[in-house]
Formats: sequence, C-alpha cells, structure tokens
Amino acid sequence: MHTHIISLLVEDHPGVLTRMSGMFTMRGINITSLTVSPCEKEGLSRMTVAIEGSESELEQVRKQLSNLIEVVKVVDLAEKKAIIRDLCLMKVHVKDSNARSTVMQLAESYGAKIVDATLDSLIIELTEEPKTIDRFLELMKHFGVKQSFRTGVTAIGIGAGVEK
Amino acid sequence: MAKEKLSGAEIVVDELKNEGVEVAFGIPGGVLLDLYEVLYKEDAVRHILMRHEQCAAHAADGYARVSGKTGVCIATSGPGATNLVTGLANASMDSVPVVALTGQVPTSAIGSNAFQEASTFTITMPVTKYNFLVTRTKDLPKVIHNAFYIANTGRKGVVLIDLPKDVLATKAEVDLHPKETFAGYKPNIKPNQIQIKKAVEALVNAERPLILAGGGIISADAAEELRHLAEFLGAPVVTTLMGKGAIPEGHPFSLGMAGMHGRIYANRAINECDALLAVGTRFSDRLTGWQLDQFAPDATLIHVDIDAAEINKNVQVDIPIVGDVKLALADIIKWLEKKKRTAGTNENVWVQRIRKMHSACEECIKDVRREGTSQSDMLIKELNRILDDDTIITTEVGQCQMFAAHYYMTKKPRTFVTSGGLGTMGFGFPAAIGAKVAAPDKKVVDIAGDGSFLMTCQDLATCVESDIPVVVCIFDNRYLGMVRQWQELFFEKRYSQTGLGVTPDFVKLAEAFSCYGERVEKPEDLKDALHNAFESGKPAVIDMVVDKEDKILPMIPPGGGVIGMIGTERCTRI
Repeated sequence: MHTHIISLLVEDHPGVLTRMSGMFTMRGINITSLTVSPCEKEGLSRMTVAIEGSESELEQVRKQLSNLIEVVKVVDLAEKKAIIRDLCLMKVHVKDSNARSTVMQLAESYGAKIVDATLDSLIIELTEEPKTIDRFLELMKHFGVKQSFRTGVTAIGIGAGVEK
Repeated sequence: MAKEKLSGAEIVVDELKNEGVEVAFGIPGGVLLDLYEVLYKEDAVRHILMRHEQCAAHAADGYARVSGKTGVCIATSGPGATNLVTGLANASMDSVPVVALTGQVPTSAIGSNAFQEASTFTITMPVTKYNFLVTRTKDLPKVIHNAFYIANTGRKGVVLIDLPKDVLATKAEVDLHPKETFAGYKPNIKPNQIQIKKAVEALVNAERPLILAGGGIISADAAEELRHLAEFLGAPVVTTLMGKGAIPEGHPFSLGMAGMHGRIYANRAINECDALLAVGTRFSDRLTGWQLDQFAPDATLIHVDIDAAEINKNVQVDIPIVGDVKLALADIIKWLEKKKRTAGTNENVWVQRIRKMHSACEECIKDVRREGTSQSDMLIKELNRILDDDTIITTEVGQCQMFAAHYYMTKKPRTFVTSGGLGTMGFGFPAAIGAKVAAPDKKVVDIAGDGSFLMTCQDLATCVESDIPVVVCIFDNRYLGMVRQWQELFFEKRYSQTGLGVTPDFVKLAEAFSCYGERVEKPEDLKDALHNAFESGKPAVIDMVVDKEDKILPMIPPGGGVIGMIGTERCTRI
C-alpha cells in the first residue's frame, strides 16, 4: 500500500465532483484527500486526489479517471517528482508562559506562523508536506490540540515543464 | 445553420431526427407534455407506447443490439425515471448504446421535493456512461449531439438527458446541429502497431493458439475479420455469452461458449492453449471461474479491447492492445498475411484435437434424443431444427438463458440478445419488442422462464397495440429454476422461496391480452405450436411444460475453475 497523488484537469461542469467521488466509491477505492480549485485555464478546474492502494489499483484508478468524460488530463505525481503541500490550521492550548514560549519556538523551527492568540491558546498555521504536518501535530498534542483543520494535499510537478 | 427560435421540445425532436432516430420507446407524463405535443405533430420519430418504463429501456436496448444504432427511451420525472434505472444499468453493463430522455420538474422547483421529483441526475450517474441535467434551452443542441456521440463511440454505453419542464417549454434562438464535442472525450480507436506486431509474433510462434471472442466483436461488427483470422491462423474460437454469434456455431473452428455454463471443451481449450487472443471481452467471473491459475495457465495472453481500463483489470495480460477490435483484427490479419502463416491447413496435433472436441460437442447438440437429455435440452435442440439462421433469439435470465446459451446454435451476429452482465430477469421479452421493431422481417423468439416472464409480461399489451408479433417460449418449471438448481446442488434441496406454485395459466394470460397462446407438453409438439404462433400473426406465448427439476449442466461450481466442471457425465470423453 502506497499513497499516490493524482492531479486532474477537469471540465468545470455541475456534478463533476459527484461523478469523480462516485467513481472511487464504485471501484471500492478510499480517497485520503481531495481538493478542487480553479486553475490557469478558463472553464477547467484542477483536482488533486490522494489515494491509498497497490500499484494495480492505481493503474485501474488512472484508467477509470481517464474514462470520465469531463477529465481532460490525468497526471500521476510520483512523490519525489512533485512539490506537495497541505495546509493545517490548529488551535493549541497553552497553559502557562512556559508552554507558550516552547510552542512558539517549535512553531518557528517548523516554519509555522502564529495567526491568532488568546491568554491560554494559539492558532497556528503550517503549510508543509503532509508528513511534516503529522509530526508537528504529534508534538502539539503534548500541549493539547483543541481543534485542527487540514485542506488536503495539492501538488505540482517540479521544474519548468508542464505535463502534457 | 441559421439561428432559429424554437421551443426546447421542438429542438429535442429536431436533433433526434438529425441523429437519425426513427423510433423511441416511452411513456409520457406531466412534465413531458410539451415533448409529447411535438411528437404528436411530427411523424418522423415513431413512438411506441410501453406499459412500464423498465420495458422502455430494455426495448431500446434490444433495438440497439439488433440494429447497431442507438436505442432511445423516454420516461417522465420521478417514478418514470426511477423505473428506467434497471434497464439503463442492464444496457451499461453490456455496453449497449442507449440514449434515455427523462422529464424533470421545472428548474425553479428542483430540490423542493416537488410532485414526481427525483434526483435523476445523481441516481443514474453510476448506471450511465454520461448524463446531463439541462438547465438552459439553448444548451439542448450541443447536449443531444454529444449524447449520441458519446453513446455510440468508444466503449458504447448509456447516456441520459434530464429535461426540466421549463427547459422544454421555453423558446430560444439556437444554432441547430452543432458538431463540437467534449475536450476530455477521445476514445482510443487506432491500435498501436508495435503491440499488433508483438501479438502477431506470439500467434505465429504458438503451437496451440486460441481465440476468445467477446461481445466487442459484435458491437464493432468484426465477425468477418474474426472468421477470416481463425481460418487463416488455424485457431479455434470460443466465445463468451456476449460473444455468441461472433462466429457461426457449427463452423469447424467454433467450440461454442466457454465459462460457468459453457461447453466443457471450450473451457478445456482455454486451459490447454499456449496463446490466447482475447478480443472484446472483459474476463468476467462467469467466464473465468474463480481459479485463475486454471485460466490459460500456459498461454501468452493477448487482450484487445477498446477500453484501456479493462486491460489487467481481472486478468493479467502479456500483450495489451487498446483500440477498435475491427481495426485491430484487420491489422493482425495484415501482418500475419505478410508472414504467410497458413497453419490452418496443417494437420498439426492441435488442429486434430480441436476437430475431435468440436465433433464431440456437435454430436451431443444435434442428437435430440441423447441419453440423459432433459426436456429443456430437447426443447432448445428442437428450436435449432425449427428456426432459421436469421431468427433473433432473446432470453430471460436463469436456467432458460443458460440452456439457450449452451445448446442454441447461433449462426449470425446480432441474433442472440441476452442480459450478460447485469443478469436482469424480465429483460428478454421487452428486448424482443425492441428487436422486432429493429428487424420487422425477422422472426423474434424470447426464450423465457415462467419466473422471468411474469416480471415484464404486461407489455404484451404493447405488442398487441403496436402490432409487434414476437413469440415468447416459456420454459415452465414453476420454479425460479437456477436458484432452485443451486439449492439442489449446494444446499441439500432446501428449496427456500424458489417454488412458484401453479398459477397463472399462461395460455389464458396470452388470450386475455388478445395474443395467441398454446401449451406444449412434449418437446416434439413444439414445431406445430411455433408454426401456429407464427401463422397467427399475433404476439404469442407458448407455455412449454418442462420437468420441474431439470438442471443446466455441466457447470463450474462456485469457487471452481475452468477444468473443474461438475455434471460432465453426459459429455463424450476425449
């Protein structure tokens, strides 16, 4: 089992998200995350899907996605060849000034930003690879994570080239 | 074309005519009044009024399978659309080109739980190749053009168009007959020549080549190419259920249907071959059985299919070829001819073995009175003797279907119409209606079971009303026979809920609809009954009484493989 990230260019029609997620349900594939957003081409959207599965399941998914009428392009972003990012917002409990300064130091070393603060909590924003966010969240659990929100991964192929 | 101001309903009918639609099977409803108003005035599109929407979809499906054209069905919003779903799923599973038009509540009422509202768009998404919910009248020309283009190209399938009442009623200025299609829809048509050459190399080097012909051969009209290739290569042909008719059964290289209820030698050939050219098939579990190590274990597996997603889905293949099977077979033949391979004339060991296998099965099928033959076998063998090669057979689902698949000798493509993937009881009769409309000059016979026929028999009214004289032959065992057979073989004869009692009287049922009805107690009386049915000129029901516990054997038992068939005692040992 591996996590695969697939980037899709799709026509911006009503129902395209239902059709996409329905395909995964029909084929018994679990989606780890799914993001949709407009892209540089008018009338098209870009979707980034993270799925867990074997190589043969991935092959099926890639082909079944290509079969969907609205899917213009399917790109399999192998992890090493892509910049992968996830954004996490978390509300961390800080019981005293000692905890507060430790949390702030850790946040700084991870490149996270403090975006809101109260007397006993901090809201921290971290944009990173999913694994780094996992590690940071683990650390924050020692202090108390009241809530965390993640956007799901988005990814782009490295270098100047554009996937054809 | 110049812009014209037309109502949505007028645009729909105009575009249907432009797509060459001659007939539609449907039932009207409140939100479709505007559409039916236009159909009333126009006689270019014949409308056949069905008695249940499921039958409308099956009739469109049967029409498409026989004609090769796209079948069209129409249903109203809510229950009309939900009734269509089984029929659409059936056509989807067997890759049959069908366009369904459904009415919908006005756009302003969508989502309000209005009277007869159902979310047809989301309900039908998994049972269609594509579907549309049209929200603007001006979109209709492009939607309808794309619906037909998508349904009948690439891997064929079902497209549904959901039409809100206001979209049909509103007038708009539109450009009719557009040509533009979707950027994301590009079916793979042309096969890769490097792969073709690899396949040719494997076939030439094989000692025991075999061709497995699926429904793709029929939907691509590639039966001629298949036959030529088989003869040129000296390779026997086995078919799937959907591939029946791809090669004339009776041809010296035809070994008949393989799979769960296939012929024992068709399955043996799959097990023994050293190169398997599988064309237009998806390797369903009903073909392969469940022990894939017995499925062509020594063979170089070549798979030709128009859908790339079928490659390596169920069976791992060595040489995939994605493309139109007609083109791919023509290319294979072209390269083979360059190599001047003419093994068909060589008396090698494989050809001799195939000849023996072939004659063992043929004898069994020709011999009506063979020892151990059941009444059901005999009836199909009688049909082989009575019916001509052009007769179109449709089937219901279950034992009757498998008796027909195993014993009926299909000679031509598009003459054996059956629910392969979904296994829909009640399909055969409405499919026969569609078949007869597509081919009015041919005899159409539905091989039915008493269980299946009762699921859609109300459409006898359609046959009478619209003068569609199909003949239904019921294998009447008063059981849900296939499930009963499994209970007998695998559940120690505990017949849980498979007995159907003694009613109805199918002859009286036929007569109640003003159809012709006759009961046949002995197989030898079938000939006269069929003669009477065809002579009557009416839709007809022949109630054929068979032994209650007839079984269709041999079979691959659940969990078994192609060489583990049970019930082979009647088969000649070779």
